[in-house]
Amino acid sequence: MSPLLLTLMIFAIMLGLMAIRTPIAIAMFTAGCIGYVTQAGWSPLANFLNSQAFARFASYDLSVIPLFILMGHFATQGGISKALFRFASAVMGRFKGGLAMAAVLASAAFRAICGSSVATAATITSVALPEMKRHGYSGRLSTGTLAAGGTLGILIPPSVPLVIYAILAEQNIAKLFAAAMIPGLIAMLGYMAAIAVYVRLVPGHAPEQNTVSEKITLESLKGVLPIALIFVLVFGGIYGGFFTPTEGAAVGAASTFVAALVLRELTLAKIKTCFYATAQGSAMIFMIFLGADLMNSALALTQVPAQLASVVQSWNLSPLMVVSAILLFYVVLGAVMDELSMILLTIPIFFPMVIGLDFGMPRDSVAIWFGIMVLMTVGFGLLAPPVGLNVYVVNAMAKDVPIAESYRGVMPFLVSDLLRTLLLLFFPGISLWLVQYLN
Amino acid sequence: MKTLELLAKACAVIGGGLLTLITLMTCASLIGRNTVGITLAGDFELTGVAAGAAIALFLPLCQVRRGNIIVDFFTSNAAASTTAALDRFGALLLAIAMALMAWRSTLGGLNAYTTHSGTMMLGFPEWVVYACIAPALALTAMIALAQAVQGSGEDVQP
Repeated sequence: MSPLLLTLMIFAIMLGLMAIRTPIAIAMFTAGCIGYVTQAGWSPLANFLNSQAFARFASYDLSVIPLFILMGHFATQGGISKALFRFASAVMGRFKGGLAMAAVLASAAFRAICGSSVATAATITSVALPEMKRHGYSGRLSTGTLAAGGTLGILIPPSVPLVIYAILAEQNIAKLFAAAMIPGLIAMLGYMAAIAVYVRLVPGHAPEQNTVSEKITLESLKGVLPIALIFVLVFGGIYGGFFTPTEGAAVGAASTFVAALVLRELTLAKIKTCFYATAQGSAMIFMIFLGADLMNSALALTQVPAQLASVVQSWNLSPLMVVSAILLFYVVLGAVMDELSMILLTIPIFFPMVIGLDFGMPRDSVAIWFGIMVLMTVGFGLLAPPVGLNVYVVNAMAKDVPIAESYRGVMPFLVSDLLRTLLLLFFPGISLWLVQYLN
Repeated sequence: MKTLELLAKACAVIGGGLLTLITLMTCASLIGRNTVGITLAGDFELTGVAAGAAIALFLPLCQVRRGNIIVDFFTSNAAASTTAALDRFGALLLAIAMALMAWRSTLGGLNAYTTHSGTMMLGFPEWVVYACIAPALALTAMIALAQAVQGSGEDVQP
């Protein structure tokens, strides 16, 4: 069988299994095993599998992932979100559509200590949705805002997808976090602008009069203090050179745990809930790691990814065109796949392709900038119909809002996403500036 | 299934406990390093192996809760009986994959035991981690097999 045909067969098996509801990780695992055995036979595969689980699970670099997830669940169960939203509504309340903006602000701030998009969307929704409803916000605007707010986090450290990209592309995690910071802020402001424009263009979705009576007081400030302290401690420590990202995650988890204890929200039952949720979140990711490993090893044996990279180079396309085509591909793929599976499966193929192109920047800068672009684009898939995992999560919590209304609600945010993606595509300096500054 | 579920929950709590230990150890090590200048040499190796065991111990519960992501885009209009049958097939495939991994990890662990392979600095024996990974993978396989045989009854809901 020719390498190209074999590659197509491996992909066909994977996609076929995925289409019939086989877990994505297992679809990759099965296709990878078949591809591996076809090319190299059983005993090399058997040897590979002997140590694969150990090599993947017991890795210092990857241990940052369960630690950040644990930190997020301590924060979720610890009652930090309530106080945070109250403060955000005190700050934003004076503007038209202010509560929606507050939800965006609270989502971004909460994401600074929680590693998961879906968990953020669910946490902030549970505190913000009833408030927005009480103040007369439409189901469309409130569910759309909360679903979009959850995706902000993919750019805000400590984002798990960002960590995974850094590991795959062999880039410094701290540098990627720095590169994502400004795009993350732009995303947050862009979402707020989207709300401001939307409530003016399409009346009837937000109250005309400001009805929020929260004031910025010492009491409400107390609510954001834990998050601010933890963020400064963790990222100050990482950038100050006091500790590695993994150590930072451990410090973050410990201090979030302490903060939750101080807020008197954490019971033994809730700690168990944290462990269960961490178990589910981490296991899901590492299961995909196992599958993607097999898949990528089988693909590497065919040598098609390497050839593909040189073929693309030989076409002499403009580098920006290649990157744009890849990003478009992610938007399409994002309609059916989740962000982690996409990154794990495609980065080993696309990364060599992109890094070989001449953007007039150093290699490391290209790697970092490409990572930010990819992460922003896979975030699309969390919002856009027909799947939009975040839209489902938020909509499931708002029982009286039809799903079609929620999809309409995310449209202004998708427009904002598109504009931001174009901005960063043409001006890589926006994401690279802070990295250089911190060096 | 009840027993398997209890075992999975116990594994998850142990895994969570291991992660908590890592955070404590790291904090102690950092305080030592940045204040009195005492370094816990090789603490990162312990973090790696403990996290490895924890992650393996997390797998069974994830399968109990059917937490492994599937694509339901193509089957969203299919009848409930069709999706149930497909889910049983998916669970079966997962059971086979996990059984394969459990078997090979057992061999890998035995090999690590006989060759006395350990971590670079502390020489922490690798077979200890294998001893967590292989049973956890086997438990995951059994849970998935039970789900494939029974279908999604009430007892597999989170």
